[in-house]
Amino acid sequence: MLDSLLALGGLVLLRDSVEWEGRSLLKALVKKSALCGEQVHILGCEVSEEEFREGFDSDINNRLVYHDFFRDPLNWSKTEEAFPGGPLGALRAMCKRTDPVPVTIALDSLSWLLLRLPCTTLCQVLHAVSHQDSCPGDSSSVGKVSVLGLLHEELHGPGPVGALSSLAQTEVTLGGTMGQASAHILCRRPRQRPTDQTQWFSILPDFSLDLQEGPSVESQPYSDPHIPPVSKNAKVDPTTHLTFNLHLSKKEREARDSLILPFQFSSEKQQALLRPRPGQATSHIFYEPDAYDDLDQEDPDDDLDI
Amino acid sequence: MAAVATCGSVAASTGSAVATASKSNVTSFQRRGPRASVTNDSGPRLVSIAGTRPSVRNGQLLVSTGLPALDQLLGGGLAVGTVLLIEEDKYNIYSPLLFKYFLAEGIVNGHTLLVASAKEDPANILQELPAPLLDDKCKKEFDEDVYNHKTPESNIKMKIAWRYQLLPKMEIGPVSSSRFGHYYDASKRMPQELIEASNWHGFFLPEKISSTLKVEPCSLTPGYTKLLQFIQNIIYEEGFDGSNPQKKQRNILRIGIQNLGSPLWGDDICCAENGGNSHSLTKFLYVLRGLLRTSLSACIITMPTHLIQNKAIIARVTTLSDVVVGLESFIGSERETNPLYKDYHGLIHIRQIPRLNNLICDESDVKDLAFKLKRKLFTIEVDFIS
Repeated sequence: MLDSLLALGGLVLLRDSVEWEGRSLLKALVKKSALCGEQVHILGCEVSEEEFREGFDSDINNRLVYHDFFRDPLNWSKTEEAFPGGPLGALRAMCKRTDPVPVTIALDSLSWLLLRLPCTTLCQVLHAVSHQDSCPGDSSSVGKVSVLGLLHEELHGPGPVGALSSLAQTEVTLGGTMGQASAHILCRRPRQRPTDQTQWFSILPDFSLDLQEGPSVESQPYSDPHIPPVSKNAKVDPTTHLTFNLHLSKKEREARDSLILPFQFSSEKQQALLRPRPGQATSHIFYEPDAYDDLDQEDPDDDLDI
Repeated sequence: MAAVATCGSVAASTGSAVATASKSNVTSFQRRGPRASVTNDSGPRLVSIAGTRPSVRNGQLLVSTGLPALDQLLGGGLAVGTVLLIEEDKYNIYSPLLFKYFLAEGIVNGHTLLVASAKEDPANILQELPAPLLDDKCKKEFDEDVYNHKTPESNIKMKIAWRYQLLPKMEIGPVSSSRFGHYYDASKRMPQELIEASNWHGFFLPEKISSTLKVEPCSLTPGYTKLLQFIQNIIYEEGFDGSNPQKKQRNILRIGIQNLGSPLWGDDICCAENGGNSHSLTKFLYVLRGLLRTSLSACIITMPTHLIQNKAIIARVTTLSDVVVGLESFIGSERETNPLYKDYHGLIHIRQIPRLNNLICDESDVKDLAFKLKRKLFTIEVDFIS
């Protein structure tokens, strides 16, 4: 599923951390979309242009449209090349496209933008850019837009990260074990349950994506990776480890069904109560008088003169 | 409430109409005759508004929320002039459904709609409304659903715990002649002609705000200000507050605001704990409630409270709303694999019910409620497990 990430469009968040970096995956996805013939725009803010273009072939390098905000982020040199309005202006300009060609916009990195711009403005602009093609009326005129944002999750608090992930169509969290990188992909389609998948992969030196089997490739109903999971395969069965028997054998079930409960007023019971008891032995009381018992038969109230 | 008094919720149609101000007559009873000569009559209109009914408890005028099960939990329906706040579930799958049911109910009853969103175009939201179930077909489909769902064990009458069979069932089937509260088929869309015949206004934030404005601290975000002005204009122009003497039938305005408080509205309560505009949302709700109380309108708001960083704001928002319902879906939590919850899709928490003109509120006895989205119906049931 990692290779069809860009097929859905919308905002794709690549969440990486210090141990598992995401820039190589970003470059691999950029290369893939460039080879598919899409228009690729890069907003380079965190690393220099030479470093970003390193490792790409010349034909891919020719296809990339690179907007450099690393060398002169505040536009002090006031040259013509710099995009007016900074990275936000560049994104806003991309909102107003009318090409039918699908476009991929790679933000390197979204963390850089989040630290320098107000989060609400950034969310609004990202939403506007990634949802241009969602109008049902003129979907044929504007091509699909994918926005790939590299987010270093350790730099931000839960607030901005939560806000961005609620806007994102796809969220890829990088992790791994023992030198093997994995991507946990969470796909949110509107009005459908989110699906997730874990894919093991590695990036080859020429930035092509190599999908691997890894220890396990699971596709399961979604469980949030940030909540420690209850052991995934064990379903909670409440009937184990009980001190009493919950199951009935067939004979026991029959006996239970034929039992008449005390409060149920069935016809047999009614007859039994109405019918006079035929020749039942009367009950006897056997009494052994104790040493302390007073066996005076007289009624003490006889002395009263009423 | 002023709104209730002016609209005359008690619809008593007696033989002789009662006029409160009579100029020359000695008695206040007048024969009901042709009233063409009376242009601005001061007597109360005795016509009731479609889709509303008075509450049996306190005479409050109620509208349906679109889900008869939810109406029953709220004590008959949503009172006119109040706000229903829905706390969204984590992946925002079920709260848009409740939002759409509310709007669909407005269309079916002929109410005016006002849809505000920062995420989706209101025209698109209206295209996706569920289709109402018509009376004769729906009863058959509902019975079929119930039959398919019943497991063999539940068919056995309870012998020992027979008192539980006498508990009132939360789920009610579609009543054939119900004009208050309709059932909707979530798998079908509302017919286009019904949508076009309805009167609706849309507010899509990216269209209304095009420039970046400087916001001073302690004031409302520009998005909220524009929305409040829009709502006020609609209420005034269409006469929901009684300002224009209405010659046509009185109607209810149903307002729906989606994802209020999310960063797309320009509010940063989801991004930061102590942002600059932390009072913006609470002020908005306060002003909105003032607008609603003086007009014939009801409002539904969905809010992503799970994203709000400052818990004190959630408490203030709850106090400023009238009815608060929280949705918690089982997706992604460990409850999903729990066999005890396998029939349900999530829990529904009624967090607050208002006390309108009353000392106590109309709480239902059952507090553990779970919801499930069946093939066509959204049902709320008592959760016997927890």
